Amino acid sequence: MALLEIDDVRAGYGSGPDILNGVTIRIDEGRSACIVGPNGAGKSTTLKAVAGLVKVRSGEIRFDGDRIDGLRPDEILRRGVCFVPQDRSLFPDMTVRENLAMAGYSISSKGELQRRIDEALEMFPILAERRTQRARTMSGGQQQMLALARAWILRPRLLLVDEPTMGLAPQVVQEVFAVIQRFRDTGMSVMLVEHNVKEGLGCADWGYVLDLGRNGFDGPSESILANPSVRELYLGKSVARHTEKIL
Amino acid sequence: MSQIVQLTILGILLGGVYAVMATGLTMVYGVMGIINLAHAGFMVIGAYISFEMFSRWGVDPFVSILVTGPALFVIGVVTYRLLFAPITENPRFGEMTVLVSFGLALVIEGLLGAGFTNIYHRSDVSYGTATWDLGAIFIPQGQVYGFAASLVMLGLLWAFLYLTKTGYAIRATMQNRSAAQIVGVNVDRVSTIAFGIGVGTAGAAGSLLSYLFTFFPGAHWQWIALLLSLIVVGGLGSMGGALVGGIGLAIVAAYVTDIFGPTWSQMTFYVALFIVLLVRPQGLFGKPLPA
Repeated sequence: MALLEIDDVRAGYGSGPDILNGVTIRIDEGRSACIVGPNGAGKSTTLKAVAGLVKVRSGEIRFDGDRIDGLRPDEILRRGVCFVPQDRSLFPDMTVRENLAMAGYSISSKGELQRRIDEALEMFPILAERRTQRARTMSGGQQQMLALARAWILRPRLLLVDEPTMGLAPQVVQEVFAVIQRFRDTGMSVMLVEHNVKEGLGCADWGYVLDLGRNGFDGPSESILANPSVRELYLGKSVARHTEKIL
Repeated sequence: MSQIVQLTILGILLGGVYAVMATGLTMVYGVMGIINLAHAGFMVIGAYISFEMFSRWGVDPFVSILVTGPALFVIGVVTYRLLFAPITENPRFGEMTVLVSFGLALVIEGLLGAGFTNIYHRSDVSYGTATWDLGAIFIPQGQVYGFAASLVMLGLLWAFLYLTKTGYAIRATMQNRSAAQIVGVNVDRVSTIAFGIGVGTAGAAGSLLSYLFTFFPGAHWQWIALLLSLIVVGGLGSMGGALVGGIGLAIVAAYVTDIFGPTWSQMTFYVALFIVLLVRPQGLFGKPLPA
């Protein structure tokens, strides 16, 4: 059963041109996908369209069989889709604790929210240490952990994560992937956009390569990097060379 | 020495009233990015309602806050839904709000002029000119009451913003609109409420305006100029900045009035505006500007 179906979607910002020119993606319940592709391929826009932050101009997005394109972001979240954007979108002047509490905005039971916050602080010890610190004063890695902890509080069925390791130190990158893996282990579906192609695909069952807002190639994660023509064609020559080095 | 104490007291008292006038304006900017040039127009509407209640039925301006606040809240909500909500998706939303609210201010001025003529008004309350004399220092009663009412209103607003769920959502939206959407805040609803509250505080401030100052339909232009420079000095979108900016500038203006005469008092705000824009463009408490 497909949890998420993106069907021939076109989308763009404001009155600008289409960034997505007919993207089709499908994720089954409990499965995960990684979207890769060169800059401007529409990877982030795809996630934003699912989250309701970018208007879908044509095509359909269905979650659990129901159409969600056209819904407000908060309505989409209530259905179980949580988005962790590239800029992490924290509340800079709120403390770690307050940021986590804001994540529970849609949770009406105070006891349940408290339980989830405690659980998140247990899962992310660095945040427990810094619970009274303002988000703006934390390092990039800590902020990313806070953004992921916020997602954990929401317990989504589908987690959308946009470039979670951008600008982070290599050791922190590993921690971020370990957290995403833990989320997957609970049965949560994850849709990941990641420039760190090898690690990103390693975190997913299926890989999608986008190019200029269109589907390029998709297949089991391991097949994406193994295919030299795909590397050359869709990841660009420099990326292909880079991935050769790291493989 | 007594002169310094005197001027400082007068400045603080007046500054509290400025702060309550400016808070709604800066909050509306912080939540939605709307520069509401009609804010002072709504204040003048509040002043007229308060004045009419006072002159017809003898209702005290402070009691009239119970009417002007809620009434202007409703007007604010309707205004937001009719004029601003339909254009929120527009990439030029910020610029459009300046034009829309400018037009709105003209309409308010026109309607008030048609209904009440352009005669100057002021609610002639018994405490309007009364003072307490403490030796060489005199303390105007009306301004003390106005200051106290402003503190109560700011306190209530603070409690709402920091202790209620909707208040949290408003603060979250001010800090990061897209983050608020991501955690499930219906920013459309929050924006409507915040705009209503912003206009509601303008209405409530109008009740104070009605007996502290003379007013007429076109009076909002001088007020909006003063309030805008005040919130830019404090930092656009910063409510603490509105309070500190309001009181600080009112104290300076009191000294300027004393030294150079009342004509120069308004200049204080604009000179402070120029200095802040040159030295610290984000204002005293504003977020750093993008490079």
